[in-house]
Amino acid sequence: MREVAELLNKMREAGVIMNYALFGAAAQMRYTEPVSTLDADVLIAISSSNRLDLLSPIYEFCSRRGFQAEGEAIRVGAWPVQFIPAFSPLTQEALEQADTADFEGIPLRVVRADYLAVIALSVARPKDFTRILALLESASVSREEIASLAAKHKLAEAWKEFERKFLNG
Amino acid sequence: MDDIHELLKRQAEWQRGRKALSWPEKIRMSESIRESVLKFHRTGPHTKSYKNKNGDSS
Repeated sequence: MREVAELLNKMREAGVIMNYALFGAAAQMRYTEPVSTLDADVLIAISSSNRLDLLSPIYEFCSRRGFQAEGEAIRVGAWPVQFIPAFSPLTQEALEQADTADFEGIPLRVVRADYLAVIALSVARPKDFTRILALLESASVSREEIASLAAKHKLAEAWKEFERKFLNG
Repeated sequence: MDDIHELLKRQAEWQRGRKALSWPEKIRMSESIRESVLKFHRTGPHTKSYKNKNGDSS
């Protein structure tokens, strides 16, 4: 993870990406009990001039530093890392509002627990619902915080449905 | 946005493909990230190590 953090910070300093934040299952493990994952998902903001070939500047930057592609990811130490451009207003905001963790003295931006929960709510697979429950159980986020953020991103009904199914039974 | 959705589809497909890895391989991979996951978890705002480091006694 240290290598991942260093690489991401260098990538941002070099202007290859505008910003980044760890998200998905790897980010979730900052807040909850361990969950199953074999890779690290990184939300990224890239400049509009990169849009024609979305990830090639990232792949080139990594390759020059000895990090090679492995399928749709790049192997960084033990971690296959997937770079995922922010794909909605919610993920853009999650990226902007990310928390900065101190990983062995290296700053590592991580999506906040409330955004992880609401992104999971928006994706809405069974495993995403499990993740929301784990975030609530760990007290990393409250029902009120999720409700407020969900409402802001037009997910109020989805949250009400989630509460009805899983929390008010 | 089409290019992003196309990329997301490819990435999701790749992740689904990884489910086909053998159990021994999945366990080997989990073990290889074990230490860094532990260290990362300790950066969480609710953990004792985080609170000690940041002087939060709550």
